[in-house]
Amino acid sequence: MMTIIYRLILLMVTGLVVKSIYDEDKLINQIMGAMVIVPLVLRAAMLK
Amino acid sequence: MKHRNFIMTMIVTVAIVVTSGKIFSDRRKIEKVNKGAGVFEVEMLSKYEPSLKGTSGDTEIFHLKGKEEGGSTLVLGGTHANEPSGYLAALMIVETLEVEKGDVYVIPQANKSAFTHNDAQEGNETDFSLKTRSGNRVFTFGSRATNPVDQWPDPDIYIHKASGQKLSGGETRNLNRAYPGRTDGTLTEKVAYGIINFINEKKIDVSIDLHEASPEYPVINALVAPVKGMEIASSALMNLQMEGVELGLEPSPKNLHGLSHREWTDYTDTNAFLFETANPSQGRLRGPSSKELITEGVDRFYVQLADIGMLFVPFTEEGHPISQRVARQIAGVNALMSAFGEFNPEKEITFSNVPTYDEIMENGVGNYLK
Repeated sequence: MMTIIYRLILLMVTGLVVKSIYDEDKLINQIMGAMVIVPLVLRAAMLK
Repeated sequence: MKHRNFIMTMIVTVAIVVTSGKIFSDRRKIEKVNKGAGVFEVEMLSKYEPSLKGTSGDTEIFHLKGKEEGGSTLVLGGTHANEPSGYLAALMIVETLEVEKGDVYVIPQANKSAFTHNDAQEGNETDFSLKTRSGNRVFTFGSRATNPVDQWPDPDIYIHKASGQKLSGGETRNLNRAYPGRTDGTLTEKVAYGIINFINEKKIDVSIDLHEASPEYPVINALVAPVKGMEIASSALMNLQMEGVELGLEPSPKNLHGLSHREWTDYTDTNAFLFETANPSQGRLRGPSSKELITEGVDRFYVQLADIGMLFVPFTEEGHPISQRVARQIAGVNALMSAFGEFNPEKEITFSNVPTYDEIMENGVGNYLK
């Protein structure tokens, strides 16, 4: 149960970051946002 | 423009996620142990602790059966997956040695989950390679502890259930602080419980846990033995000295719980021992990490530290190569079995083709691996 909740939280945070990247005007900020996504997605995918 | 940048950024991000995800998932594939001619049977630890079935904690137990009846021994490698000499020595027994008398059980990857990750923030390598009889072979260099993917989160304080002893939270994933374990505990405790059950069910006479330690750690190049095993250990050390292998004898601390030699002694009837060799790739005072540091064991910083008396083991420009460390483990296991046989002639355990310390040093450990 904890794993499912943790995975949902990670995916929601990832979704918010993706939305922020979409709304962002500056390329440098979009790249910085993308750097945040990588560990979040990996963490969500690697949970057992 | 904004949306074009977004699409480009997302494409690059997905590519990075897929690539790094593959690296992560590949880490969970551990190399197979090759069965040697001496292997009679392979069992899984989950037979002795069913809750391990299908988990990353389940691991193979290799049974080498002698032609003649004798005593029984259990050899554990890979309790800590970042201590390769213990792991390789256990592999060598499974892949090369044959038992003449008695029963030898080997668990080369005792904490299998610890082989599925490494301590990246220690700058550690993920693997190393050796030239073996079949060519170049890659071996996993894992972590001291169970993979947090399999057991999380760590508590702030780890309370050893059997004794109430308190340790730092990270030790909750350390197999060598988890004995005697429990069936309704963490994955690490279940593995420990399975090993205890195995020792009790098979009535193992001698149990040996193979470890390494950093050169700045006080218990090193040593044989750790509880009070009841001191006579056997002393006799083994004398045999080793005659072979030119110097080892210290350390008593198993009565008040430090969870360790294999301590709890195997208290919760089973076995004679428990633990070997430590010097592993420069493990220490905090080493230079840069590299695959060569694991296999050749040469580090100039340790040479300097040895010069000013800061280490607990001699350290020269020749370092502590993996062949030397495995040779010490194998010589130690053989000496312990001989000593046990001297005290219990009806329970002798002997190998028919065990190489000497000098032979392993001369030919290299790879020559004794498939």
